[in-house]
Amino acid sequence: MSAAGRTGAPVPLAIWVLLLLAPFWLGPVGGYTALGTRVLVLGLAAMSLNLLLGFTGVLSFGHAAWFGLGAYGAGLALKFVALSTPLALLLGTLTGGLAGALLGALIVHRRGIYFAMVTIAFGQVFYYIAYRWNSLTGGDDGLRGFARQDITLGPWHLDIAGNGTAFYYFVLTCFAVAVGLMALLLRSPFGRTLLAIRENERRARFLGIPVELHIWIAFALSCVFISFAGALYALLNNFADPNNLHYSLSGDLVIMAVLGGMRSFWGPLLGAAVFVVLQDYVSSLTTNWMSFVGLLFVLVVLFFPRGLLGILRRQGTA
Amino acid sequence: MSLLEVQAASRSFGSLVAVRSVSLTVAAGELRAVIGPNGAGKTTFFNLISGAVRPSAGTVRFDGRDITGLPAWRRVALGMARTFQITEIFPELTLAANLRIAVEAAAGLRLRPWLGRRAAAAVARGVEEVLDQAGLTAKAGRMAGELAHGDQRAAEIAMALALRPRLLLLDEPTAGMGEQETYDITRLVRRLHQERALAIVLIEHDMRVVFHLADRIAVLDQGTLIADGTPAEIAADARVQAAYLGHAAEAAAP
Amino acid sequence: MTQLLLFNVTNGLIIGAFYVLMALGLSLIINLSGVINFAHGGFLALGGYLAFTLSPFLGFWGALLVSPLLTAALGLVLERLLIRRLYGRDPLYSLLLTFGLAFIFEDATRFVWGAQGLPVTIPDFLGQPLSPDLFFITWYRLFMVGVVAVSVGGLFLLLRHTRLGIRIRAGTLDLETVSTLGVNVGRLRALNFGVGIFLAGLSGVLAGGQLGLDPTMGAGLLMPSFIAIIVGGVGSLPGTLVGGLLIGVASGVTAVFLPSASEAVMYVLMALVLLARPRGLLGEEGLMT
Repeated sequence: MSAAGRTGAPVPLAIWVLLLLAPFWLGPVGGYTALGTRVLVLGLAAMSLNLLLGFTGVLSFGHAAWFGLGAYGAGLALKFVALSTPLALLLGTLTGGLAGALLGALIVHRRGIYFAMVTIAFGQVFYYIAYRWNSLTGGDDGLRGFARQDITLGPWHLDIAGNGTAFYYFVLTCFAVAVGLMALLLRSPFGRTLLAIRENERRARFLGIPVELHIWIAFALSCVFISFAGALYALLNNFADPNNLHYSLSGDLVIMAVLGGMRSFWGPLLGAAVFVVLQDYVSSLTTNWMSFVGLLFVLVVLFFPRGLLGILRRQGTA
Repeated sequence: MSLLEVQAASRSFGSLVAVRSVSLTVAAGELRAVIGPNGAGKTTFFNLISGAVRPSAGTVRFDGRDITGLPAWRRVALGMARTFQITEIFPELTLAANLRIAVEAAAGLRLRPWLGRRAAAAVARGVEEVLDQAGLTAKAGRMAGELAHGDQRAAEIAMALALRPRLLLLDEPTAGMGEQETYDITRLVRRLHQERALAIVLIEHDMRVVFHLADRIAVLDQGTLIADGTPAEIAADARVQAAYLGHAAEAAAP
Repeated sequence: MTQLLLFNVTNGLIIGAFYVLMALGLSLIINLSGVINFAHGGFLALGGYLAFTLSPFLGFWGALLVSPLLTAALGLVLERLLIRRLYGRDPLYSLLLTFGLAFIFEDATRFVWGAQGLPVTIPDFLGQPLSPDLFFITWYRLFMVGVVAVSVGGLFLLLRHTRLGIRIRAGTLDLETVSTLGVNVGRLRALNFGVGIFLAGLSGVLAGGQLGLDPTMGAGLLMPSFIAIIVGGVGSLPGTLVGGLLIGVASGVTAVFLPSASEAVMYVLMALVLLARPRGLLGEEGLMT
C-alpha cells in the first residue's frame, strides 16, 4: 500500500461502474434512485469526516454541525438570495466551511477525548441556534419553502428539479469532483503530513512540521467538503431541519466511516451505503430504529473495529 | 564560534529539579557525548536543546541565534534533528513513505497540494540516498512498524538525516540492541561524523560506544554537570567515578 | 427586577449543582479510564424511572437510595461485559459504544415506561415553598442542593481518605505505576465506573422529582455536563464542580435578560474559556491535553 488509501485499481473501477449504473440496477434489486442519491451524499459526508478521523487521526465527533450548516446555507440561499442551484451550493459550502475554519482555530491544540468533547459540545451550538431562531430557520419544524432549480448551461438544460435520475447524475458529478480533490490531496506532500501526524505526532513535529497548523488546515478542508455534502442534502430533500445539525447525526457519520473502514479511502462510502440501506429497510419494519442503530454501534465496535474494507484489505495484503 | 551554546539552563517539574544550571557548548563538526546515571536529567537536557520542553531558566543559542523560546519544528528548519530513546517512526507506513515525508518536509514541500514531475523525482532521489546511507535500501517497501528493532533505530536516524541537519541529537541510539546491531549503529554514527562533518550529541549508556566515538564527554548527575572533558580526562575524573560507583552501590543494595 | 434576578441566580445555582452531580460522575470515568461515557444520560434517566417504579413500594426515601444502587449495578454489568474490552484502545471506540448504548437506553425506556412524561412523587412537605417571601424556592430545591452537597462532599472525602479513593486518584495520574504496585487496575476501574454511574442514577431521581421523567431527559442533560467538564478543565474534579456551578448561574442570569439565549450562553462561556485558558479553569496542561 502506498501512502494514501489506495485499494488497488479494480476496487475504485468497480465502485465507479456501480455508481454510474445505479439508476438502472437500483430498481430491480428493490431500491429507488433517491436512495442512491442519499448514499452518495452521506457517503461524501462520511468521507469528508474521514479526512480527519482516518487520515489525520483526529477525533472530531461534531461534524454534523458543518453538514447541517451547509444544508441551511443552501436552503437559505435559495429562499432569500437567488433561485440558483450553483449559488446555493457555493453559499452552503462557504457557510459551513468558514464556521468550521473559525472553530478549528480555537480547538487545534486539544487532542484525543478532549478534542472529541469540545467538537461535540460546539457542534450543538448550531443545533440550538437552528432550533431557537424560528423566524429565520423555521425552528423545530425545519426550513421549508425552497426547492432546487434546474441548471441551464448555454444550450444544455438539466432538469434536476423534476427528474430524480437527472438529479442523481448531478449529485454523482459533484461527488466525483469532491472525491477526486480529496484523493489528490491525500496523495500530495500535504496529505502525507496528515498521515505523519496520525501515525506519530511527536515524530511529525521533529521533522519540522507545525502540527497544529496542519491539523487546522485539514479540519477546515474537511468542513468545506462536508458542508458541500450538506448543501447537496438540502437540495435532495428541498428541506433542512435541526436534526441535520444534531450530534446523533455526527455519531451516524462516524459509525459509517468505522463500519466501512477508516483506514481506506472508499470505506466510508461503503459504510454509508450499508447504513442508509439498513435504515431505510429497518425503519419500514419497526419503530424501534434507535435500538437497532444502537445495537449496530455496539456490534461494529466489538466485531468490526477495522471495518469491512479493513478486513478485506488485511486478508488481501497480509 | 560554537554551533550550539547552552547557558545555565535549568528545568524543574513541580518540586523536582531535572536539570540544574547546565552550560555546554558543541563546536561545528564535533561529536559530543552526554553520559550519567539513570535519572541524571540527560533526556530532559536533550528536550531543552531540541525544544520539546522550555527551560525554566537559562538560554539556548544555535549558530549564534537565541532559540530558547523557539518551538521544536522551527529548530528543525535551522538545522537541528533528533532521535528518541523510544523509537519514534510512522509504524503503519512503509519505510520509504517514512523517509519520503521527512525528505519532503526538509525540502519545504509540506504544504504543497501537488508535486510536479521534477520535484517528485528529486524527492525520490533524496529518499534513495538516505536509504543507502543507513543501509536500509533492501527494506524500503516494508512497513516501518514491522522492521526489526535495530532497523527501526536505523530508520529513525535515517529520517533525522533526511532533514540535512547541522546538529544531530541521538538519544541512546543503541538502546536494546545486540552486539552486531550496536556495532553497525556505532559505525554508522562515526561515518556520518567523519564524512559529513556533522556535529553530533549523543546520549549513551554503552561506555565502549561513548569512549570509542566521542571527542568530548559531558557527565550529568542529579541534574548537574559534574564533569566535561576529553575521554581521557573523564576516565580519570574522581567525581565521575564516585557518581557511577555511588549509583552502582545503590542499585546493588536491596 | 431584583427579585427576578435573585430567583434566577438561585435557580442557576440549583441547576448548576445538578449539572455538577452528573458531570462529576462523567469526569471520574474520563479521568481514570479515558472513556467519554455517552450513555451517562441514559443511566440518569434509568435512575429516575426506577425511582418511579419503586417508590410505591419503598417510598420516596427508599427509592432515592435503592434506584441509584440498581443503576450502578447495571453499570457494573455493562462495564464488565462491554466497556472493559475497550480500555487502552483508541477513545473513538468507547465513545461509539456508549453512544450506541445511549440510543438503546432511550429506546428501551420509551418501550418500558412509554413516551409520555411521568412524575416522581415526592413527600408533601418537600413540595412546599420555604416561606411566603421565598415562594420561588421549594424545600425540594433546597433538598436537592443538600443531596448534591452531601454527595460531592462524600465523593471528595472518599477520594482523599479511603484506600479506594487514593488509588483512584493515583491511577488518574499514573495508571502504569499504580498497576506495578500490585493494584488490580481492572477492579479499580470497575468500582470507579460504578461510583460514577451511582451519581448518574442519583441525579436521575433528583431530576425526576423536580422536572418529571421523560425518555430524552438524559440526552438533554448530557451537553451541559460536557460543558461543565470542559470549562472546569478535563482531568480536574474540582474544575468540574466550579464549571457546573458557573454555567448554571450563567444560564440562570441570562434567562432574566435574554431567555432564548440561556442555553447558548453556556457555549459562549466555553468558547471564552478555551480562548483565554485552553486547558480549562482548573485543568493542568499536559495531564490530558
